[in-house]
Amino acid sequence: MRGFLALAAAAIRQQAGYRAEILSMVLGAMIEVFARISIWKAVYGGQHVVAGITLPQMIAYAIIGATLLSNWDTALVVREIGTAIRTGQIANSLIRPASFPLMLFAENLGPRLFNFAVVGTPVIVVFALLYGLLPPASVAHGLVFIAYVAVSTTLLLLISILFGLLSFWVFDAHSLEWFMRGFGALLSGGLVPLWFFPPALAEAAHVLPFAWITYYPMAVYLGQLDLASAFTYLAVGICWVAGLVGLIAALWSGARRRIVVQGG
Amino acid sequence: MPDTLALAWYLMRLRMRTRLQYRAALVLAWVSQGFGYAGAFASLWIILTRFGGMGGWRWQDMAFLLGFHTLGYALGACFTFVQLRRMEEIVRDGEFDSLLTRPVNTWAFLSFSGFNIEYGSHVILGVGLMAWALPKVAVDWSIFTILQLAASLFSAALLTGALITLIGASALVLRRARYIFGIYFDFWELSRYPITIFAAPLQFLLLSGLPFAYMAYVPVAALLRKPVPYLGDAAASVAVTVGPVAALIAAAFWRFAIRRYQGVGG
Repeated sequence: MRGFLALAAAAIRQQAGYRAEILSMVLGAMIEVFARISIWKAVYGGQHVVAGITLPQMIAYAIIGATLLSNWDTALVVREIGTAIRTGQIANSLIRPASFPLMLFAENLGPRLFNFAVVGTPVIVVFALLYGLLPPASVAHGLVFIAYVAVSTTLLLLISILFGLLSFWVFDAHSLEWFMRGFGALLSGGLVPLWFFPPALAEAAHVLPFAWITYYPMAVYLGQLDLASAFTYLAVGICWVAGLVGLIAALWSGARRRIVVQGG
Repeated sequence: MPDTLALAWYLMRLRMRTRLQYRAALVLAWVSQGFGYAGAFASLWIILTRFGGMGGWRWQDMAFLLGFHTLGYALGACFTFVQLRRMEEIVRDGEFDSLLTRPVNTWAFLSFSGFNIEYGSHVILGVGLMAWALPKVAVDWSIFTILQLAASLFSAALLTGALITLIGASALVLRRARYIFGIYFDFWELSRYPITIFAAPLQFLLLSGLPFAYMAYVPVAALLRKPVPYLGDAAASVAVTVGPVAALIAAAFWRFAIRRYQGVGG
């Protein structure tokens, strides 16, 4: 655990060193939130409620969804694994006294938490002041939402690591990255919540793990799920976390057997 | 000039032959990139079909806009993006110094020797969306409008190449340019939408200092005869002019950056 925290802290320090990049991330998040709010304002027009959802609720969905729940270039994780395989750096990872997927998780969790504090928080404050931000449906919903953010972050990283590890078989991390983007863009409910989806697509998206990245956390925040359902879906989300951890362990076990390091 | 063109074509063929050595990887890249874009476009399709439109644009209008945007970007980026995204590393590793010793234009060498056929899926997606949307949108087709479409597409491609060149060249002066590409793509995402959904100051910015509106919105709105803020009836002619003007500015900045370049190695 101490090693895990040290890796996460080192990643945060590394990230904090690039001030221009931090500013560009803040600018990027602001542009993204602004675009999403503009879209919802344009499509709602004069309508107050669509599918039981109001415009202020969609503005909250846009502000929090684009900062705490999906504003993270997880493709970087996939790219990182691809580069480690292509350049042979993976050999260095194997001699370390920690599992490669666990190191990846720690090294990417650090910047993610840093991103929450330095990018997400100021952007939320700015847009809350500009457009108003609905609070959680109740104190209890707010507390459960925090647990959902933890599940969302964990799932986001696990899914990226899973796609990244497939590079051991596909040898083309770039393509895997694009597949992940395609799934994530639509099925996480990042831009469009699942309640606006056509029924058949919504049915499938509701049970896939991507929905726990943005859709379910925001449904809890906005009170679209009662507390009993919120706990039930949280348990399902945790099951997805456990399932993905098992799948990653199995993939990594298989991948280690495929590694052949030449030279020395 | 004929020698330069012959060399450019030779470099492009060389690059294409190299890439075609790994056909399965290329097809996978096409399929995956198409899938990535389709995921993003499907979200917009859901919004537009659920709500009936966005700022007066119906799904068929948006499909035309998205197709134009994807195609214009691909035509400009296949000559510039992957090549110039690496400028920071090219400069840091001293590779640019060796490029300067070659008896060819540095930009042309980088651009043509890195010609990227991975944009095939963008082209297929862009052409496909436009082909689906064209019979459904309200355009009075004539020789003039066909020429307008071709010229504004060429202009959008030039604009894309010019902006990417400007960012790449800045690595020669600033040493770091990767994060500017991040900012570029943040604004590029905005250029997928009708800019009338944004607040007036941002509309003005996208039509002037950061001319991303010309990558798709202005030319498509002009073809669809939709009102374009600030430009009005001049939209069509400005749309075909912006790209060449941006290319001239980018060429001048590239030359300026090379004059200022001092290398980072020893």
